[in-house]
Amino acid sequence: MKTLLNYSYYPGCSLHASASEYDLSTRELFNALGIGLTEIPDWFCCGATPAHNVDELLSLSLCAKNLELADKVEGDMAVACASCFSRLKTTQHVLTENEVKRKQVETAINAPVKLDSSVKHLLEILAKDLGLERLATAANKPLAGLKVACYYGCLLTRPTDVPNLDCTEAPTIMERVIEAVGAETVAWTHRLECCGANFTLSRPGVVIQLTNAILESAKAAGADCIMVGCPLCHGNLDIRQKEIEGVYNADYNMPVFYLTQLVGLSVGLGAEKLGLDAMIVNPMPLLKEKGLL
Amino acid sequence: MSRIGVFICHCGENISRTVDVERVASEIGKHPGVAFSTDYKYMCSDPGQTLLKKAIQEQKLTHIVVAACSPRMHEKTFRKAVEAAGLNPFLCEMANIREHCSWVHENREEATLKAIDIVGMMVERVKKNRILPTITVPVTKRSLVIGGGIAGIQAALDIADCGHEVILVEREPSIGGHMAQLSETFPTLDCSQCIMTPKMVDVANHPKIKLYTYSEIELVEGYIGNFQVTIKKKARSVDEDKCTGCGVCMTKCPQKKIPNKFDQNIGMRTAIYVPFPQAVPNTPVIDRENCTWFKTGKCGICQKVCGPGAVDFEQQDRLIVEAVGAIVVATGFDLYSIAEKPKGSPIKGYGEFGHGKIPDVIDGMTFERLASASGPTGGRILRPSDGKEPKQIVFIQCIGSRAREKGISYCSKVCCMYTAKHTMLYHHKVHDGQAYVFFMDARTPGKSYDEFWRRSIEEEEAVYIRGMVSRLYQKGDKIVVMGSDIAVGVQVEIEADMVVLATAVMPQKGADTLAQKLGISYDKYHFYSEAHAKLRPVECATAGIYLAGACQGPKDIPETVSQASAAAAKVMTLFSKDKLEREPIVARVREIGCVGCFACKKVCAYGAIEEKEIRDRQGNLIKVVAYVNPGVCAGCGTCQATCPSKSVELDGYTDEQIVAMIEAL
Repeated sequence: MKTLLNYSYYPGCSLHASASEYDLSTRELFNALGIGLTEIPDWFCCGATPAHNVDELLSLSLCAKNLELADKVEGDMAVACASCFSRLKTTQHVLTENEVKRKQVETAINAPVKLDSSVKHLLEILAKDLGLERLATAANKPLAGLKVACYYGCLLTRPTDVPNLDCTEAPTIMERVIEAVGAETVAWTHRLECCGANFTLSRPGVVIQLTNAILESAKAAGADCIMVGCPLCHGNLDIRQKEIEGVYNADYNMPVFYLTQLVGLSVGLGAEKLGLDAMIVNPMPLLKEKGLL
Repeated sequence: MSRIGVFICHCGENISRTVDVERVASEIGKHPGVAFSTDYKYMCSDPGQTLLKKAIQEQKLTHIVVAACSPRMHEKTFRKAVEAAGLNPFLCEMANIREHCSWVHENREEATLKAIDIVGMMVERVKKNRILPTITVPVTKRSLVIGGGIAGIQAALDIADCGHEVILVEREPSIGGHMAQLSETFPTLDCSQCIMTPKMVDVANHPKIKLYTYSEIELVEGYIGNFQVTIKKKARSVDEDKCTGCGVCMTKCPQKKIPNKFDQNIGMRTAIYVPFPQAVPNTPVIDRENCTWFKTGKCGICQKVCGPGAVDFEQQDRLIVEAVGAIVVATGFDLYSIAEKPKGSPIKGYGEFGHGKIPDVIDGMTFERLASASGPTGGRILRPSDGKEPKQIVFIQCIGSRAREKGISYCSKVCCMYTAKHTMLYHHKVHDGQAYVFFMDARTPGKSYDEFWRRSIEEEEAVYIRGMVSRLYQKGDKIVVMGSDIAVGVQVEIEADMVVLATAVMPQKGADTLAQKLGISYDKYHFYSEAHAKLRPVECATAGIYLAGACQGPKDIPETVSQASAAAAKVMTLFSKDKLEREPIVARVREIGCVGCFACKKVCAYGAIEEKEIRDRQGNLIKVVAYVNPGVCAGCGTCQATCPSKSVELDGYTDEQIVAMIEAL
């Protein structure tokens, strides 16, 4: 496939650390699909949750500076992490609405804010820019028979009017993407519930409770696995899963994939290129059973 | 030589806070032609008007400028005062130094200079004002009422009881509107049907009321006192004169499974139907979309069984023209739906509640039908999904209302009260059940309203939880309600058997289209706008058109009835005169200059321009010129701006007057 699309890639901190398999699978998938990705030189942390809880000006300025750096690379900005995506979009939204804050931020970063530059989550690139038809064509090993619970979490679509990725409370973009490459999706109730996010360190009890409800709901709906687009959700659902099973005396054994891993499988990428070995809940038995590896 | 009097108003402090009114008065006193100028705290008050009248007489003033608020506010007031002092009212002008000056500026010096300019312009303008004689037009003493809900019914009965003919037009096959759908009514719990149906019968029997049901307004022409209204009477397929209302046709109709809109689609009806047993008129209508005869050309059973031979498959839509002098708009409301809305709609729906796809999540009106003795369940509260009685029921208020992110910012006003009522009806019918209510605030400002709400908690055991619901989902045969209790600061989860949503009150669908036909204004939600929010709440800005009920904004029954009677009183005020005086601000054609191009006729939105033949004494046609019918002209001035030969001018707004104003700057 010819390279038609090109993006400035903002991996975010997690993808260089705990979610390195998300980074790896993103690069491999985009390469296989012929989509160009150029990592933004000198990008740095978006501030995530801590910054905006402590200092709004700091959090807006961090994102504004990253937007400016991204602007120097050709193409729209491609963001993998739901939290980075949310912060970058929120910054554009807040600074468009509030001129006073915009001026403060512009003083802080000593440059005009890129309010109109296009910031896209990977889902948007696959579903809209590449398009579902081309994605389906590229899927030479369709994920037939795999029942996927698409998990959005809090930030991909919320709040209303900020990310504008899809309908805020009843989105379908994940389902559309993964169905395009041959998987089945399940209708389940906890697609948009909070996993507890970064309370995973300070209040693990809360996270275990919330995440259990998500796993329970996915299991009840008959899902084989969960698909996510956020490193933090992934951490809670995957890394804590064994512990949750212990607390609630449950048996989920529910692999948690990044969307790029599942789509990557469908275009014929092998386990090593998708970082499947980094997953805590081993997906291999499931994938072998379904004949996908 | 004109002797102009100028009166500068302080408007309490509204003007004098920013504008040095004394300085304006003394500066304008030096203006050529000004014989007298003064300032006063409240020009519109009785002493203020007396001051004006005294000055006219003592100073022998010929023209008046009152510098105060917008002419929309008090032009009539001052012109009346001027007339009382013996001057032609149209020799008085207002200079707006409040909305156009003091309210929008902060710098006192600059605002004062601007005020002097504004007053100076009006002084120059008033010098060119002519004496204008008041125009009188005849009044047709019949009125049109649009909408046959409680608002329309009340207005129609009040007007008809005063002896004037009323044309009542209703879109549905029966009058009654939403009130006929309700079970009991707050705050007294009397049965809605019991207080409503006698009024419906009164309408049907009233010799002065002409009822058109299953009919819609097609076209409205004319002006106050003289409207021509075209009504489309949709084909009922049943001859109203022959039908006796025996109902045999309905019992024999083979199509029995059509969702009945009157029962919020939970009850079923036949293809030939009356929406409910107490319908007025009690004449069935054939729903042609679902009728076997109209779909396949076979069946015709209703026609065969009809004794009087009233069923008429050939009946056509008819257009009827009625002449009326006043119009009462009472088109009522519709309810917000949580379903997904089309792209571009400002209303967003509720994805977090499953976009209305969970069968036992219903709206308040559906609950009314369940609770109603004449409803599809005979008054038993049963789940639409499986017909079981819900033992845990959750009511959620403010769905759509007060939720800017959902597209509506206003309060729907009636939901707090009807939800309290629902908890009572539920408790009366399901003794071992428990009702929960999620609410933001309880808004109960009405006579005996707060007591009623307290009763639902203290005597009827409803559990009120202050907080909103974030999500509803189906789990087995339960509905999980996830919400917050902000009083305690905890999250709440209730496994409910049924959920009732107090969805927002919105205007009827098509309210905007009807408003455009009537030439009345509406807000961004399509609620109709009253002429003045406080002082003219039942009149439209368009003369001769009045508002009643929820088409103007969310209202409960007592308020709706009050407004309907007020609208009727306004109609009666209009009908109390045989001729109507109207402002002589109309266009006039200078026949000598007019070349008869009729460019004015093309642009006139009111159809006021006619063709007039000019003949010599022998009767030979010299030319055809434009003529403005002063009864129809609305004084918009479009013809004046269009006329290529400057042969038409709007009295009170002539080019000469406008130029004089500009030159005064």
